Amino acid sequence: MIRHLFKLIWNKKKTHSLLIIEIWASFMVLFGLATLITYNVKNYLEPLGFEYENVWAITLNNNQDTMAVAEKVQTIFQSVKGFPEVESLSRMSDAYPFSHSNNSRTVKYKNSNVQIGVVIADENLSKTINIPLIAGKWYRNTDSVGKYIPVVINKMAETALFDNQPAVGKVLNDYYGKATWVVAGVVDYYKDKAEFMLNKPIMFELLKADQIYNKTLVIRVKPGTDAVFEAKLVKAITGIGKGWSSEIIYLTDARQTQHNITLIPVIIFLIICSFLLVNVALGLFGILNLSIARRRGEIGLRRAMGATEGSVTAQFLGEIWVLASFSLVLGILFAIQFPLMNVFDVAGGVYVTAIIIAIVVIFIIVTLCAWYPSRQASRIHPAIALHED
Amino acid sequence: MIKLQNVEKVYRTSSIETLALNNINLNVKKGEFVSIMGPSGCGKSTLLNIIGLLDAPSKGIIEIDGQKVESYQDKAVAPLRNKMLGFIFQSFHLINDLSVIDNVEIPLLYRSTTAKQRRELAEEALEKVGLSNRMKHFPKQLSGGQKQRVAIARAIVGKPEIILADEPTGNLDSAMGNEILNILQSLNESGATIVMVTHDDAMAKRTHRLIRLFDGTQVL
Repeated sequence: MIRHLFKLIWNKKKTHSLLIIEIWASFMVLFGLATLITYNVKNYLEPLGFEYENVWAITLNNNQDTMAVAEKVQTIFQSVKGFPEVESLSRMSDAYPFSHSNNSRTVKYKNSNVQIGVVIADENLSKTINIPLIAGKWYRNTDSVGKYIPVVINKMAETALFDNQPAVGKVLNDYYGKATWVVAGVVDYYKDKAEFMLNKPIMFELLKADQIYNKTLVIRVKPGTDAVFEAKLVKAITGIGKGWSSEIIYLTDARQTQHNITLIPVIIFLIICSFLLVNVALGLFGILNLSIARRRGEIGLRRAMGATEGSVTAQFLGEIWVLASFSLVLGILFAIQFPLMNVFDVAGGVYVTAIIIAIVVIFIIVTLCAWYPSRQASRIHPAIALHED
Repeated sequence: MIKLQNVEKVYRTSSIETLALNNINLNVKKGEFVSIMGPSGCGKSTLLNIIGLLDAPSKGIIEIDGQKVESYQDKAVAPLRNKMLGFIFQSFHLINDLSVIDNVEIPLLYRSTTAKQRRELAEEALEKVGLSNRMKHFPKQLSGGQKQRVAIARAIVGKPEIILADEPTGNLDSAMGNEILNILQSLNESGATIVMVTHDDAMAKRTHRLIRLFDGTQVL
């Protein structure tokens, strides 16, 4: 029967060409959507790598004040640290967790050449946002006296640079090949743009206290600390740095903003695709209804030749599945190019999963659309159908 | 081979009741070639549909090959139609998107046969109707007579004991009609029981027996 259906569809390929294109286009749209969703779900399921509850970021801006900036930052640091509400405090670059800032550089080790995200932070960051180490230790301020700048890298960077060999103690070169950093420790994950971020190579570099840049403070406050303390903090900061401004960001809010940046386009795309697919489904339903109305004679004939109601339903469902299979073969030929050519640098598994999801959804859609017309076809009375034709 | 006892067929709508067949008693013996005649609307096709189990009688008993038809449920009659009966229609009812041989294979799709067996049986049937050289053609490439021969090949491919023909020469000129009847006669001579609805007296005279209907009643 399958061979018979293939022949029937193949011989009507010109008539069905638009339908094949329609299903193919739906597959491609679904593939795009499924890729986006699979990519984000896969990222979401990976650990974040740190804690953000009860953590605030305080950005400091010295504005026009250029006098003794480093000292004032230190004073602010000490002042904030003195508040009983503050459990832990760290100073770091503008690329605080869930911020929109990025910093990256090229790091070399032997033949490996990796573009790596850079976070400049002091010795307290791992404690403040609780980043667990899987090897080595977090650097200390005292490490700054060494020949190389101490860094902590994530597992991804370790894999990219050292091909899974232990990284601790190894010296990394900068873009020009100059030995610059030494690896003090390795963390597993650090996804500072929230859960939907792709896990990328990251390097934490020791921040020196005398720097005038990198003056964002990240504080862990006691649970239940509220806006009253926020006001006290602002007052304390502006009291030390005359003309300075500051902004306090709750990491929970910043995380939500990052989520929105990822999710809103996905949701918009999902809504547009849903409309598109509903239209395709309705079109398909209409075409199948019309096709069955035109084929009443054939249905009557098949019933006269011994087809049961079930086999007529199966035939029409089979035809649409064969038709969908033609479209999907065409679609897969296109879709498979994405993992083969490593388009958008997305993991091959994401594309393969998306292809499978799109295939399943297409078969569900065509089955739902064909089910009612097929059942209607099977209920056509053979004597009446044969007489009409 | 075919036995109808007190068969009645009534078509009912919400307001009208039409008696299409009234107290039909019929006994067609194995190997018999019977024609059914009558004016338009007298119930010829209804009778053929009932014999062919395409329609259920409102009353009466039907026996096919000594076997009483107990149920007209789809699953009960479909295998009987497939194995016992072969249908030939006035308008051929060929599927234009399938080649001649694929059209002939259709009844075999609904029983357990392999693709190879189907092909062999279809070739054999086409050979019997003299169309072995047209197997790969499509219905649109055939004349009316050739199309009807394909329809006959399709009716006999499953080797049914009974062939039901509803005005098989109705759409053909007399020469083609004769040719088709010759084929039916030769099938009958090979043992097939044939019931044929026709308007043509000359064709009816070439069968063993004539049944006349008038207003749903058997008059001869």
